[in-house]
Amino acid sequence: MIEFKNVSKVYESNGVHALDHVSLKIDKGEFVFIVGASGAGKSTFLKLIMREETPTSGQIIVNDMHLENMKRRKVPYLRRTMGIVFQDFRLISKMTVYENVAFAMRCVGKKNDSIKKRVPYILELVGLADKADDHPSELSGGEQQRVSLARALVNNPEMIIADEPTGNIDPEMSYEIIELLSEINKRGTTVLVVTHEHELVKSFGKRVIAIDDGRVVSDSDDDKFVAI
Amino acid sequence: MSSFGYLVKEGFKNLFHNRLMSLASIGVLVSCLVLTGSAVMLTINVSSIVDSVGDTNVTKVFLDDNLTKLEAVYKGKEIKDIDNVSDVQFIDKDESIEAYREQLGEEVFANMTGDDNPLPYSYSVVMEDLSKYDETVAKIKEVEGVASVSSHREVAAKLTSLSSFITTMSLWIILALAVISLFIISNTIRMTMFSHRFEISIMKSVGATNAFVRVPFIIEGVIIGLVSAAISIGLLFILSDAIIKSVQKILDFPYVQFTQVMWPIIGAFVAAGVLVGIFGSMVSIRRYLTHEGNEILGW
Repeated sequence: MIEFKNVSKVYESNGVHALDHVSLKIDKGEFVFIVGASGAGKSTFLKLIMREETPTSGQIIVNDMHLENMKRRKVPYLRRTMGIVFQDFRLISKMTVYENVAFAMRCVGKKNDSIKKRVPYILELVGLADKADDHPSELSGGEQQRVSLARALVNNPEMIIADEPTGNIDPEMSYEIIELLSEINKRGTTVLVVTHEHELVKSFGKRVIAIDDGRVVSDSDDDKFVAI
Repeated sequence: MSSFGYLVKEGFKNLFHNRLMSLASIGVLVSCLVLTGSAVMLTINVSSIVDSVGDTNVTKVFLDDNLTKLEAVYKGKEIKDIDNVSDVQFIDKDESIEAYREQLGEEVFANMTGDDNPLPYSYSVVMEDLSKYDETVAKIKEVEGVASVSSHREVAAKLTSLSSFITTMSLWIILALAVISLFIISNTIRMTMFSHRFEISIMKSVGATNAFVRVPFIIEGVIIGLVSAAISIGLLFILSDAIIKSVQKILDFPYVQFTQVMWPIIGAFVAAGVLVGIFGSMVSIRRYLTHEGNEILGW
């Protein structure tokens, strides 16, 4: 669950108004596309959700946690409730597929036993069970993105945040990835996909929130759209 | 504790990844520790020498070269009459040269017998009250025909002032080296962190705590500290053994060997190594982890 209440973000360093009085609500279990041109404020939106940045004004609630006044030492526990998928995959090249996924579990202090059980299960889920011992360089872009997705999923987060997940892969593969995210969403995980590929978005018929110039300019779920 | 084992392994990997910087850190830390250890060994030995000679209450009085043996023997009575002198013992110049010959080998002194003997007649003087040492020595010096007075006590005093000079000097050098080694270690760790910033961004994105991110880097620092301590202990053992052996040939004293005092030194070295390692890594980690705003998306 994500809730923005009148959130503004001004970067002190250059005075840029990245977000301007944004209010929106994404419920638990939803699948939402966030669209907008580059520089529209998508990155700032994501950074605020991950608590990489704090808002200049307004309130942000993510998975029942208030972010605007969250203490630094609590941030890791916020991040454990979300799985992040990156445009550039962010896989560690010297580790195998298995190790890349296991790495995410080690980072949150999971025991070897549970890692050994959980990782093969997740790799099966994303269809990469037979590639467990390969290195990322041996995989196609679509496969690498599925590893990245497996890593995001392995700690069983309430929410998946995908930042331009299809930006670096073939169009056919892109559908596959969104399909997979949609599959994960059906199991109850909230999914948030940030993208600028309107064609892709249209074909799935999910809720779409458009951001432009730091404002929410449209929301396909009209009930929740609060225009200012 | 499976994740701790994993973190220790990562720490070792980091160390090898940055071999050159790790070696530089170890080198500086070793010089720092060996210097400290040497200063400690010197101080211990000097004070033990001072203690042992301070106990022997014998002052040597050398007479003028041109005195005949008979004149020299008469001077003994004059010296004995001085207040506070309890006993005097005449030492023939032949006896003195014999003593040197025994200590330093035959050849050099082979021809120095009879009239060719360059040594003066001398006396061993024992005093009643050592607190009056200086005034008594002054009185002995007033006696006509007395060339010089020397005692182990003077040697002891000179040694003590020399050792305190060396100790102060090395204290400053050690301080400078400690600062340098902290600086180099924290730079080594910062380089490791920089080369691992990609992994760190992933760790942070999946919710690793700062403590977890830190541990491998602290372990790297601690390993540098421990390796340095081990090398320093070995070097100090070899060095002090060699130095004591060679000094013993010239000046025979019951020197304190490294092995007699090694446990406190080893303890201190290990503690110092570990502390410098932890402190050095904490400095660089703190600066890195507080870098806000770009830890995930903009690494």
